[in-house]
Amino acid sequence: MLAGLPGDRWVTLGTLGVIVLSWTAVTSLGLVSDLFLPGPELLWSGFLDLVQNGYRSRTLWAHAALSLERVLGGFVTGAIIGTLLGLGMGYNRKVEAFFSPFIEFLRPLPQLAYLVLLIVWLGIGETSQIVLLFLTALPVSAVAAMDGVKGTSVLRIQAAQSLGASEWQIFRWVVLPSALHEIFTGARLAIGVVYATLIAAEIIAGSTGLGWMILDAGRFLRSDYVFVGILIIGLMGLGLDRTLLTIERRVVHWAGKA
Amino acid sequence: MVTGAVQGWIRRDGWLSTAAVLAAIGTWELLSSFRFVPPDLLPGPGAVLRAFVYMLHNGYRETTLWGNILATLYRCGAGFFLACVTGIPLGLAMGYNAKIGAAFDYMVQFMRPLPPLSYLILLILWFGTGDKSKIALLYLTAFPIVTSSAMAGVRSVRTQKVQAAQSLGAGGWQTFCYVIFPSALPLIFTGARIALAVAFSTVVAAELMAATNGLGWMVFSASHFLRNDIIILGIIVLGILGILLNRLILMLDGAIVHWRGVE
Amino acid sequence: MKTEELKSASRLDRRDFMRLVATTSGVVAASLASGRLAWAAAKTPGKINAAFFVETKPTMIAKGEGWFEKMGGAKFNWSEVGSGAEINTGMVAGSFDVAFAIGSSPTAAGISQGIAYEVVAMVDNIGPAEDMVVRKAANIKSPADFKGKKIATPFGSTSHFRVLGFLKLNNLSERDVTVLDMNPDVEVAAWHRGDIDAAYVWSPAKAKMLEDGGELFSTYKDLDAHGYVIADLIVARTAFLREYPAAVAGIVKAYGRAVDLWKTKPDEATAIVAKQAGVTEAVAKHDLSEYDFVSLKDQLSSEWLGTPGKPGKFAEVLKRTADFLVQQKSIRSAPAVSAFQKAINTRFIEQALKG
Repeated sequence: MLAGLPGDRWVTLGTLGVIVLSWTAVTSLGLVSDLFLPGPELLWSGFLDLVQNGYRSRTLWAHAALSLERVLGGFVTGAIIGTLLGLGMGYNRKVEAFFSPFIEFLRPLPQLAYLVLLIVWLGIGETSQIVLLFLTALPVSAVAAMDGVKGTSVLRIQAAQSLGASEWQIFRWVVLPSALHEIFTGARLAIGVVYATLIAAEIIAGSTGLGWMILDAGRFLRSDYVFVGILIIGLMGLGLDRTLLTIERRVVHWAGKA
Repeated sequence: MVTGAVQGWIRRDGWLSTAAVLAAIGTWELLSSFRFVPPDLLPGPGAVLRAFVYMLHNGYRETTLWGNILATLYRCGAGFFLACVTGIPLGLAMGYNAKIGAAFDYMVQFMRPLPPLSYLILLILWFGTGDKSKIALLYLTAFPIVTSSAMAGVRSVRTQKVQAAQSLGAGGWQTFCYVIFPSALPLIFTGARIALAVAFSTVVAAELMAATNGLGWMVFSASHFLRNDIIILGIIVLGILGILLNRLILMLDGAIVHWRGVE
Repeated sequence: MKTEELKSASRLDRRDFMRLVATTSGVVAASLASGRLAWAAAKTPGKINAAFFVETKPTMIAKGEGWFEKMGGAKFNWSEVGSGAEINTGMVAGSFDVAFAIGSSPTAAGISQGIAYEVVAMVDNIGPAEDMVVRKAANIKSPADFKGKKIATPFGSTSHFRVLGFLKLNNLSERDVTVLDMNPDVEVAAWHRGDIDAAYVWSPAKAKMLEDGGELFSTYKDLDAHGYVIADLIVARTAFLREYPAAVAGIVKAYGRAVDLWKTKPDEATAIVAKQAGVTEAVAKHDLSEYDFVSLKDQLSSEWLGTPGKPGKFAEVLKRTADFLVQQKSIRSAPAVSAFQKAINTRFIEQALKG
């Protein structure tokens, strides 16, 4: 992430320092009201407060864990089924033709719009949120897997066939490794979208979780809690993305890259 | 051109896709008309069509369908455009100059996983309840995506090409215009496509708070008044718009970046 | 002051007396003129940005009949809101100049957080008008029955304030009872779908849910007795009321006229409210009678807002509300009572009663 020469590290830290300093200055000089931009001390005390006393009868970690559960639940199911569907679509033209209009429709569809419909059918609560996240991850993984399969070099498939490999062997040893990079890229994209959607879903239909916490605090203009919540959400999102990246590096390395 | 398109459609088994869509609509019609699902939970295609026609004539709660479409597209377009106009140059600079990259990269990377709706309330406090806060939200959502892509685009340029140009006597600016920028364009366009898709998704979320028009507002408002037919209508219109926007950028991509994939 | 001076002037000789009369009348004339100038020659705003609720209250009369615009002296840019929290957000964002029927709870929060607005009048004292509606099928007979159930209420509102008070008084936590944030019309839709078991809110949503398989679970007497008094207020941005005092006085006067109409000609008032709020006249009549619409004159009493210089008891209600919110961690801190007293500005009621 901090690529470049060691000298560049100083530039990074330098600009970061400038931001923190100007933020502290602006808030302690009272140039901006607390409601708009709480200062660093306020944020820190807000954070300690949340850690020690929790928020609305649940600890901060409990809220974070609930959000994380929902993300993983929706993402894992959506990514697995989406990838399987995408593999099928990549392999078989008829399967692709059948499913592609639905995938193409679902993919750009703003999640919050059909969350409203899901709430009508499934009510407010965990079910509609998880189904929403599942539907969010599915088309992203499907398209990624499909592209991955289609991108496999024809020459390598033919080479394998000439060596007498079976369909399954070709899939397992030629197509799959080649597609894995795309599948993982798709997974990272999917988890990003799922995560963003989750916060929105908690705001509309939730009563727990980090997104809901920000909504509740926001109603009372408790900017300190709102900011702390945003920072935690951002860091958690970053963590999820980096985790997937690390997993990809190890798995794809394991399977052998070309 | 038409026969080419038809041939393409046949090659891609377009008939199967069309059949699938028709089958889905048919199933929907069956479910609703035979009351397998109660009509107030799932209005049938006919009801949605009637709502559509009604809205064309009478609007919805003092807004027109066309007005809502334009409001949503305007917000999405404005945020996306501003993000491109500021993000692409910054991304190019970041890719070109390692110090600039180091100065801004961590900020851009932190913005990416930040869910837009989490900071919408802050934007409303800062920019008011009108369009400005929504456009700001879309800008902040699209900006890191196009910036990252532009930076990656510059960094992906093969050094041999740059060296080749320089050995032919090209100056810094010429190298940039004729070698680096064109080579970066494919990735820039990919970033723009993703950014537009994300912006489109987000504009609906932005219309959740402090909005009085727009397709997202229409869907949320309909849900408050139990107008499921309008909810479904809104979803269909949003879906079609999303497909059209995606196709539009793909077309632009194909037309402008005709050297994509050619090494 | 002036009469006493004139009286003592008789002890002076003629020339001094004439001089005194001249200067005194000059001073009197100048102050009268400047006083009148401050109110009359004050410029009128081009447009007034106002937040309002669709509700069964006389505010709907003054709005629907155009009295606010006529007496305020400008065109109104109306924004409908669903909760006091939205009003606070809008005030901070600079979107509103004036807000009608913001609850005492969000007002207390706003004043504590330094939002630059002032209370210029009361809309009502709420009492039984906001209360808990429960689904008959949920079989809730006592507070303990709420365990495991879902209550919907607009967060940051007076109803939310009452719900939190109710939970506290009955030793229930937000782990036992799920409290969901919903604006009134969202609640009605969720109620209809069976998503929620109870709702704490005002009419017309309250009336709609009662008609739709709901029954009243009365909490207000107990809560009022424990000090969870709630009221609705009219607030105006401080900068706005300083620049356009005549407009604000006109607005307050318009509201006073609407309250008078309800007290003197209830049927006519009910008809207008019913039409504006989208409910039947029977529902409007019932809802209107649940509120205590304190007349402008009574608002000046020490029971309520008091007069400029002699603040009434309501400042203490706001202080207690703020303290409770601090306990709930909804706001960081609450200032002393004097801050609330300063935030209540009854000059406009006085001016409205004069004209």
